[in-house]
Amino acid sequence: MKRFFRTGIPYIWLTAGMLTISLLMIGGLIVLIMLKGLGEFWPHKTVKFTLQNGTVALGEIAKKESVPHKKGSYRTKLKIGNRDIYGMDFKWIDNADIVSEEYPTNVLTFERREWGNMYGSLEGLKQDDRITSVDLEKVPSLLEESQTSFAKIQYLEKKEIGNINYRMEKNRLELKRLSRLQPSGEVQKKIATIKANMDFLEQSYKEKENILTELYNKAKAKEVVVLLADGREKIMPLFQIIRIYAPNKMGVFARIGFYISKIWEFVSGNPREANTEGGIFPAIFGTVMMVMIMSIAVVPLGVLTAVYLREYARDSIIARLVRISVSNLAGVPSIVFGVFGLGFFIYFIGGNIDRLFFSEALPTPTFGTGGILWASLTLALLTVPVVVVATEEGLSSVPISIREGSYALGATKLETLWKVVLPQATPGILTGTILAMARAAGEVAPLMITGVVKLAPSLPLDGHFPYIHLERKFMHLGFHIYDVGFQSPNVEAAIPMVYTTTLVLLFTVLILNLTAIVMRNKLKRKYSTASL
Amino acid sequence: MKNLKRRKFADKAAHWTITFGGAATVFIILVFFVFIFLEVYPLLKGAKVLKQSTHPLNGEVVSIGVDEQQEIAYSAYKDGDIEFISLSNGHAFKRHHITGLNDSAIASIDNDNNHLVLGTNNGSILKISIDFSESFDKGERTVLPEISEEESVLIDDEKKGIDYITSRGGDTTKVTVAHTEDGRLILKSTETRSTLFGVEERKETKKDITSITAQYSLNQFIPPNSSPSQEGGVGKLKPGTTLAIHNPTNLTEQRNKLEITSLVLDHCMENLYVGTSSGEIFHINIKDKENPFLQEKIKVSNKTVTALCFLLGDVSLIVGDGGGGVNVWMQVRDEKSSSGWFLKKIHTLKSHNAPVLAIAPSKRDKGFVTAASNGTIHLNHATSEQTLLNLETKSIPTAVTFSPKADGILIADSNSKLVQWNISNPHPETSLKTLFGRAWYEGYEKPEFVWQSSGGTDDFEPKLCLIPLIFGTIKGTIYSMIIAVPIGILAALYTSQFLHKTLKTIKPLIEIMAALPSVILGFLAGLWLAPLVERIFPALVIMPFLIILSIATAFYLWKLLPTRLKGRYGYGVETLFLIPFIVGAVYAATQLNVISESLLFGGDYREWLSNILGLKYDQRNAAVVGFTMGFAVIPLIFTISEDAMSNVPHNLVSASLALGATSWQTAIRVVLPTASPGIFSAVMIGFGRAVGETMIVLMATGNTPIMDWNLFNGFRALAANIAVEIPESPVGGTLYRVLFMAALLLFITTFIINTLAEIVRQKMRRRYSKL
Repeated sequence: MKRFFRTGIPYIWLTAGMLTISLLMIGGLIVLIMLKGLGEFWPHKTVKFTLQNGTVALGEIAKKESVPHKKGSYRTKLKIGNRDIYGMDFKWIDNADIVSEEYPTNVLTFERREWGNMYGSLEGLKQDDRITSVDLEKVPSLLEESQTSFAKIQYLEKKEIGNINYRMEKNRLELKRLSRLQPSGEVQKKIATIKANMDFLEQSYKEKENILTELYNKAKAKEVVVLLADGREKIMPLFQIIRIYAPNKMGVFARIGFYISKIWEFVSGNPREANTEGGIFPAIFGTVMMVMIMSIAVVPLGVLTAVYLREYARDSIIARLVRISVSNLAGVPSIVFGVFGLGFFIYFIGGNIDRLFFSEALPTPTFGTGGILWASLTLALLTVPVVVVATEEGLSSVPISIREGSYALGATKLETLWKVVLPQATPGILTGTILAMARAAGEVAPLMITGVVKLAPSLPLDGHFPYIHLERKFMHLGFHIYDVGFQSPNVEAAIPMVYTTTLVLLFTVLILNLTAIVMRNKLKRKYSTASL
Repeated sequence: MKNLKRRKFADKAAHWTITFGGAATVFIILVFFVFIFLEVYPLLKGAKVLKQSTHPLNGEVVSIGVDEQQEIAYSAYKDGDIEFISLSNGHAFKRHHITGLNDSAIASIDNDNNHLVLGTNNGSILKISIDFSESFDKGERTVLPEISEEESVLIDDEKKGIDYITSRGGDTTKVTVAHTEDGRLILKSTETRSTLFGVEERKETKKDITSITAQYSLNQFIPPNSSPSQEGGVGKLKPGTTLAIHNPTNLTEQRNKLEITSLVLDHCMENLYVGTSSGEIFHINIKDKENPFLQEKIKVSNKTVTALCFLLGDVSLIVGDGGGGVNVWMQVRDEKSSSGWFLKKIHTLKSHNAPVLAIAPSKRDKGFVTAASNGTIHLNHATSEQTLLNLETKSIPTAVTFSPKADGILIADSNSKLVQWNISNPHPETSLKTLFGRAWYEGYEKPEFVWQSSGGTDDFEPKLCLIPLIFGTIKGTIYSMIIAVPIGILAALYTSQFLHKTLKTIKPLIEIMAALPSVILGFLAGLWLAPLVERIFPALVIMPFLIILSIATAFYLWKLLPTRLKGRYGYGVETLFLIPFIVGAVYAATQLNVISESLLFGGDYREWLSNILGLKYDQRNAAVVGFTMGFAVIPLIFTISEDAMSNVPHNLVSASLALGATSWQTAIRVVLPTASPGIFSAVMIGFGRAVGETMIVLMATGNTPIMDWNLFNGFRALAANIAVEIPESPVGGTLYRVLFMAALLLFITTFIINTLAEIVRQKMRRRYSKL
């Protein structure tokens, strides 16, 4: 036995076990997120439990588990929805209490703009105080009608009235600025035009508002009557409803279609109900835009540093200092970058920009508060080392012989660099950029304090001049996960959404990383043959 | 030719641009460090005088005060006049006589919020309030002082002068304690209560409480030949007993022996402190206004107690004595004393060389100003025990005040001068001692490390000690390293030495693990893993043993397997072969959850933990964080140490194998020692990552700043604390700077760790190149 241990083979197996554990951990994590994240949008069957005390519970089964400290007994967590009526979304039911379990086909799931899902059967349509019964077949067309009128309302509210408000604010600031100047004839004239402008805007605002109320009234006129599981009736306006479907009647294709439409809504829609429902489009958009701005900042800096280290620096003190700086930048905790970004970019630089250029808006800060520009620049600092290391790798894989060839033909160092070395090192630079993007997409801590918010009223890119609004706050996938999962008032209902968001973020990061790895390997292969 | 010149120029320009751009990272790091340091630096600086100005006064001053903006000061003169002085030009622009005084003079004065309570030389008290109202006219701000008087109230029926007075009042209750020039102590309280019918009911008590303190003077000073009547009246008194006054007039002769030199009453109107010439403080409990009693008598100094004053919040008592000593005393819980509390000296401040004449507390923090008879003036902060500023005047100060915003000190001196110092004192509460040491805060039984940056009340004192946060960071880091170091290094050893060549693609897979956003790990740790661990805790305890057992089983089965089946790989695929076994072990462990709970922990592990080990179990605890952060650190340690091990020169390995060592012996005795610097730097870099990790800690612990090593409760780490608190801290404020200090600590720690790791790695590279 002793000799057997001395061969070391058991220890080898132990080390192999450690590697297996690491692999299982990462695999398990990805599988877990996929399972939890992908399952959310599949239409769940609606179950109707009749309990021993005669009450009826209707909803989707969320979870089944054994009752703690009670052997052999199980309980079911039922999503009963109807938050406006029951007060909470979930209910625990002891399996022992269940008398019967059925899946009635006439039960519909109503997806609403507020208060979450509602489960029940459709009694009829109420219009002008009359209730008429409706065919289930006619429901989609009715819904479509209300949907278009809602879209019209939204357009009016967000686009047109938003536009008026935006221009109003601009005019107000301009007025404030002008009133501080020496009152001369010209200034007076300008003030007068602005005032006229504002009056006009006020007028058109009122007009739009009237149209809006009219539309609302019209939309509210049509109501649906829903019969709930406990026999109660609930009447609600049709335009409150996004989707009506009968999960127990759906075939496989209907389910797949439903699933796809839900996923589309998720990635392209706006969040509802304090981010616990709807889509995450603004968060995706914010993340992408932040990463883009960051890349613009980080790539030149990183490439310059790498070129300096590889091509220009001899073993000088400066070069050594640069190396230490780069490796330290890579090791500094991200929250420290956030603190620096907050103090330096936002309060110092942003504050001074405000004082110089946006003094009319003070004390409301313009650049002196968190925003997408500052967040991007902070992350640019954070990701410099990533770009430097990858670019250096790219540069070092370009064989010296190629450079020497170029010099021999009479090219200067710059020409060699620009026309020979850099083009060959492009994959390295791209790898670095992609890795930096992946890092930035997943980073949250520094963003939390430099400009990310839970709900941004408007995107940093829109139709108002100058189109890109670098001072605006934005939403971010990673922060969305933290915020919805930990700071939302209704965490239980929000968790499935968080898993799906996590999945989106995970995929983004994984795909970026895989691309980078593949690219790096290609680069290696290309030059391992060239240097032979 | 021209073309060539242009090319040369471009080449030169590019050279400089690139060199400059390359050096930018150094510049960034420098700016980084310098900027953060500049934000932190003011914390440790003392106070500074911005401006000193002197203005004339006209009379004998009893009290002075100043408005919020330090534009107008007032001085109350002994003859009953109040004068307002514009501090911008020194003009006394308004003089007002207090009509309620009726030709009497002010003998003593006490400051209660915005009110002044005056004691007259004929036994009355009078309350006045001075307000500064701002008005705006055409954008110009003017401040107008206003005086309102209440009716004067006779407090001493004998109409003697009141030489010390203290008074506090709320909406319903008002209490005044006065000391007359002939040595009597009078307590007067007024209580207004509205009855059910809306009628106001007033209850007034007036009581001579001289005897409570006088008994001691009698005990000490009664001459043996004193008259029997006095014996009868006072002889029964024992220290600490409640005293009813039987025969007050008989005591008169003896009163002067015990000289009362200061009085102070707290805002609850329950505790009265009386300082005496013998250096003692009498703590008189006047909660029951009918039956005040002596709660405690304590010697605070060898000299006369010359000044008593409360710090903001009326809990700590500042005592100034005739020797110039300045101490802060506080009620501390004590089981031994009858009331459960006793007065204890908490802070000692720098002493003056002459008797302390006046004390003025800050209205913002636990700071105060003391003035001594030799003209020295100190600006102190009680909790941090710092004397932030030493000022001097040529003459004797008679009154001192601290401006409402704590940005100015004013004194009136015996030369009829008003001296004003505008001061900058942004962070009096922080010193290296309060940031990194134990500080004794109000309400605590002993000095402690406390982090509590915000509280519910206005007079809350922020407790900004970084030690609990540093402790939390270390705790989280250590637990995660315990997980990450063995797994990371052993897995790297296997990958570099034993793994089959075709399986080397595993390495990038683990690199991807390093790229996982920590917010994902934190979210899973907080919302999935923590509840899961809570549910299957016993299973997790037996899991490591089952995993080792499964590895042994796998090994045994592998040996049994015919070589034919092992395929063309032979060795090097153990890791794949193990997958089903380890999965099986994990599954088996979860299935054995209930059984192991009853076998190992007697049915309930929480109870077992708290009964046997005395540990409290929180859902989001250090174990969950340790595991998750370990998950984040493993790939770092793995990649760097794997690099180091695979770069060990081949000739070394071959030589070892050729000498007959087994591959394991080679790995352990040759590869590991040779690669140890690389492994060391891998561990260091992993350590740096764990120290600075924010999101995982933020999401997977309860973020409670407690200090104990319990694996099953939470902690609050530096990084997570910054993320939580910096968005709410005002720019340039103390909390903001302290958080920058936390960032600086993290920065310096990781800087040292990374530099160390980098140096070690470079040394290793040089050594390899020699081999």
